[in-house]
Amino acid sequence: MDAGSIRTTLTLPRAAHALIHEGTPIVGWGVAVFTILTPLILAGGLVYVCVPLLFGRIAPGGMFVARWISITEPWNMIEVFLLGVLVSLMKLGKLADLHFGMGFWAFAVLMFCMAAAVAAIDKKELWDRLEVAKNHV
Amino acid sequence: MYKANSYPPRGAEQGLASCHICEKASPISIGVCPRCGAHLHFRKPDSINRTIALMLSAAVLYIPANLLPILTIRELGIPREKTIISGLVEFWQMGSYPIAIVIFSASILIPLLKIIALLWLCGAAKGMIPYSAKMLGKVYWVTELLGRWSMVDIFVVAILVAMVQLGNYMTVTPGPGALAFAGVVILTMLAAMSFDPRLLWDQLEGKTEPDKINSDCE
Ligand SMILES: [Zn+2]
Repeated sequence: MDAGSIRTTLTLPRAAHALIHEGTPIVGWGVAVFTILTPLILAGGLVYVCVPLLFGRIAPGGMFVARWISITEPWNMIEVFLLGVLVSLMKLGKLADLHFGMGFWAFAVLMFCMAAAVAAIDKKELWDRLEVAKNHV
Repeated sequence: MYKANSYPPRGAEQGLASCHICEKASPISIGVCPRCGAHLHFRKPDSINRTIALMLSAAVLYIPANLLPILTIRELGIPREKTIISGLVEFWQMGSYPIAIVIFSASILIPLLKIIALLWLCGAAKGMIPYSAKMLGKVYWVTELLGRWSMVDIFVVAILVAMVQLGNYMTVTPGPGALAFAGVVILTMLAAMSFDPRLLWDQLEGKTEPDKINSDCE
């Protein structure tokens, strides 16, 4: 079951890598950006900015990071990728016996949690709090 | 119906611009947002021209995206080319109707609706097409919300290419349609982002675009 989860998480970089080497490098880089780079910037950036804000402080460069969160937000396609995984498994189901391990469902729940976390951020409140914290220092 | 002068004054008339990144309202005269450092404009610069240019490029790419193969399956050395539509037909024949409907919406319907909706929004913001603000507000919201989901077919291609490499028995390689299709999705997303819905409200209130007032004065 653990192996299932490892294989699924490996699919992200592997999928991009395969496209880059199979003659469509532009699409491959696009997939890498939308499913690996932007979610990492978003998740990392949100933690970096929000955790100090809990204590009313602003992380060094917090304003810059928050700007990048705003810019990358529409390009995070992790939940779209999950739908892609489901569709591919349906397609592959014709060719081979595939069964969903617990790992797959854990991965799916993780993705939905992340999508929900991003959706739950009120950007106006984030900016207001950042401004208050900045003026306090 | 409302009269043009029954609306409250716009921020722009008081010299206030809302930041495109953090939405803080600041006097336009200071040039840069004091909170996040982004450049201040009353409206997104050159919004309609940019949106139309991006949208027309997307409309042109939409044709090869649907006609060219997005992937080639080589089974025992025999290549079979698949387009978005042939994949769709396959799911339908398999009886996987929900998946077929999802693919149809994401790959064919949403890009097409987005192209039509954004061109319509541009026409309305230029005052060439009469419209109801409430309805167009909804149209804009839907185009922004749904655009990303069109990427699903590209991800399916990526996953299949990565997973189905069974040597001589079966391999999958991406086709030129995938590039065209990814182009359509990215261009329509950029177009939706460069469109400024406030231009619709300006037009509705019978007022000129605030940036135009500025440049006319200079
Ligand atoms: Zn700002």
